[in-house]
Amino acid sequence: MPPRLNLLSVPRTIAYRPKTDALAWQANCIAQPSLTLRRNFAESKEPPAADKSKNPDTQPLGGVTEEAAKTSDIIGTEGPDIEQGTSVEEVVKRDKEAQKMLPKVMQDSLKSTPKGFRSFSTTASRSQGMGLEESGPPPPPPIMPGIKFSLPTLPIPSDAHLKYRYDPVVKQVTNLLMRHGKLSVAQRNMSLILTHLRTSPPPSINPSRPLLPGAPPPSHLPLNPILYLSLAIDSVAPLLRLRSQKGAAGGGVALQIPVPLGLRQRRRTAVEWILAAATKRRNRGSGKGGFAQRVAEELISVVEGKSSVWERRNAIHKLGVAARANLILKR
Amino acid sequence: MPSITAHASMASRNLLAAPRTASFSTSCLRFALPPKGKASQAGPPARGQKSLHLKKSARPRDTGKRPALGERKMLRKRIVLSNTNALEVHGMKDLNGKNLRAEAVKGAVVGLPEPVVDSLRAVEAFKTTQGWNMFRRPATLMRKESLQIAAFVDDVEAAVGKKTVRKIIVGDRASGKSTLLLQGLAMAFLRNWVVINIPEAKDLVIGHTEYAPLPGSNPTQYTQDAYTSNLLSQIARSNSAVLSKYCITTDHKLSILLPPSTTLAKLAELGANTPELSWPIFTALWTELTQPDRPPIMLAIDGVGHIMNNSAYLSADAQLVHAHDLALVRHFVDHLSGRTTLPNGGIVLAATSGSNQPASPALEFSIQLAEARAKNPIDLPNWNPYKTVDQRSLQSLKDVDVLKLNGLSKEEARAIMEYYAASGMLRRTVDERLVSETWTLAGNGNIGELEKGSVRLRM
Repeated sequence: MPPRLNLLSVPRTIAYRPKTDALAWQANCIAQPSLTLRRNFAESKEPPAADKSKNPDTQPLGGVTEEAAKTSDIIGTEGPDIEQGTSVEEVVKRDKEAQKMLPKVMQDSLKSTPKGFRSFSTTASRSQGMGLEESGPPPPPPIMPGIKFSLPTLPIPSDAHLKYRYDPVVKQVTNLLMRHGKLSVAQRNMSLILTHLRTSPPPSINPSRPLLPGAPPPSHLPLNPILYLSLAIDSVAPLLRLRSQKGAAGGGVALQIPVPLGLRQRRRTAVEWILAAATKRRNRGSGKGGFAQRVAEELISVVEGKSSVWERRNAIHKLGVAARANLILKR
Repeated sequence: MPSITAHASMASRNLLAAPRTASFSTSCLRFALPPKGKASQAGPPARGQKSLHLKKSARPRDTGKRPALGERKMLRKRIVLSNTNALEVHGMKDLNGKNLRAEAVKGAVVGLPEPVVDSLRAVEAFKTTQGWNMFRRPATLMRKESLQIAAFVDDVEAAVGKKTVRKIIVGDRASGKSTLLLQGLAMAFLRNWVVINIPEAKDLVIGHTEYAPLPGSNPTQYTQDAYTSNLLSQIARSNSAVLSKYCITTDHKLSILLPPSTTLAKLAELGANTPELSWPIFTALWTELTQPDRPPIMLAIDGVGHIMNNSAYLSADAQLVHAHDLALVRHFVDHLSGRTTLPNGGIVLAATSGSNQPASPALEFSIQLAEARAKNPIDLPNWNPYKTVDQRSLQSLKDVDVLKLNGLSKEEARAIMEYYAASGMLRRTVDERLVSETWTLAGNGNIGELEKGSVRLRM
């Protein structure tokens, strides 16, 4: 079983330092003497500030077990079972000061060598189920007289609707490609882009510009051009934007405040960057398909890590990290 | 001060003494140099005075290297016949001279062998609008109409009296007319025929290639030397294996001396290299090809509507030249109309175009007539006498038959969709339902729409 506390990893993924006024900060210091004790353990049902804000970034961190589980999930190892609680002994194992505050019985048990240990858990797990789940495929739909073709299998796939027949990324990019409301021209360009992606040789990946985790090997990309397109866009999509808020710093000075972006917003930003970079490229041929070809070449250079779009993304992220200090989270 | 007054008086005197022009002509004044403005004599502005300076904004200029001459057009016209990403289709048969009508290739997708692909490329049978660049190697579906053409090929070879088959390929837009023409050419290459293909009839009549009256022709015909020499070079490159087997037999009275052992391939190359002699050499080559014991000929043209009207060329008395007065076009039309037959047999194919077809009432009516004749030879439509029609085109198309291209059958649609899926271009399971759905959405199996719907955008 892996250790519950992963000491080698960074303890927090995103550490926002909430800015509070001096008095409140002192009071916090007095009330919560150590970081370990300020954390919420798995036993507590709900974190204390959970109802203050709906923004996921402002939520307080979970207990050590949740954190260890998340960390191991990210690095791909098997983490602790969240269903089980964290034992107090394990929590205080490396905290000498907290050990002094323990009851006498527990202090004694810490000093004495353990006689033996169980390799299994004795706590009941809720995930076992109560024997109520049904098993096996759903029964086939009854044959109804008077129907020429069989009834559709449910659930109806998401792209079966006339207005949502294309992949969401393809649809969004097509709409962003459109100029002067000419959708069919944009669709033709989209088709040319996908054709270019599927006929060009597989990209060579630059290890210093990592794509999304879980991306397929580059040789698989040309045969699945929509995946190729989505991968390029999602890999350079920025996580946040900077909103400059007037007067937040006092004296009429605007403060840059990082704001997280939603999925479509992130993609939109990335596509606009890519289109801007493609416009600056030189048109080598002549005729109708020139722009589509330049966009496709830009997409390939994004996947290969050569595109200037990566610099823009990194710059935004760097500024975002610096502007993190400007965030004020209400407690 | 006095100097200024003197100056002014001089100016006024000059004004009085301004050149008096005759009242009926204004040309001297109009062509005179513009009078010098006062500003030029004023000199720079005095110190302390403000003057308006408009800076020319330095626009960012693209200083990169321009594409070389013709490079852009080359990129636009480039034919790509292979996609290395596409999967190899296992178990696909190749077309060869013997299996044109075999059971195994009926309704199946067959590959085109390498030498045939080279020849087809030389005669510009592949078009940029076709989807050859998606697949591993060129392959075509042997549909019902392709097998009809294969049957014509067999008929021509089997006929005792050396038959000439003349057909106009008609059909909806994107129904595969140019591809059917290509299949016909491929079959002719496989059977070692001589293939002469005019890839785009439009190039002949829009006035983009030079022309000259043919000496001794009455009414005047016009030759297009640059085009003809290019055509001869295509003929030489694509048919080199066949043409190098035969030597010239007669004296053609050309202005250059030909050794008696000149092969026909050499003759065509000679015409390709000397544009000023290209038309006499073309006629000489044709005379040689129509000698007894020579192979059958496949004559093909795409976009036939363009040659069924006046061309864009002007005659010496500034009248539009009819397309049939261009020597090369007349040569083709004579064979299409049946005025001249091919003594060694052969096929004359003309494809209409769905996307680039000029209005040609004569062609349209001839197609209607031919379709009605095929149904019922008694009940034929009549030409509306109040409409103008190009009589020469109508006469030339009087008894030509049409080969109508319809949509694919569902079995053929399934075969080609399985080929798409096996190439990795269609990422779906090809089942009855998908085939039926795509076939219906493609306008009852129009193959261009079928490709668009299954391969191009929806994957």
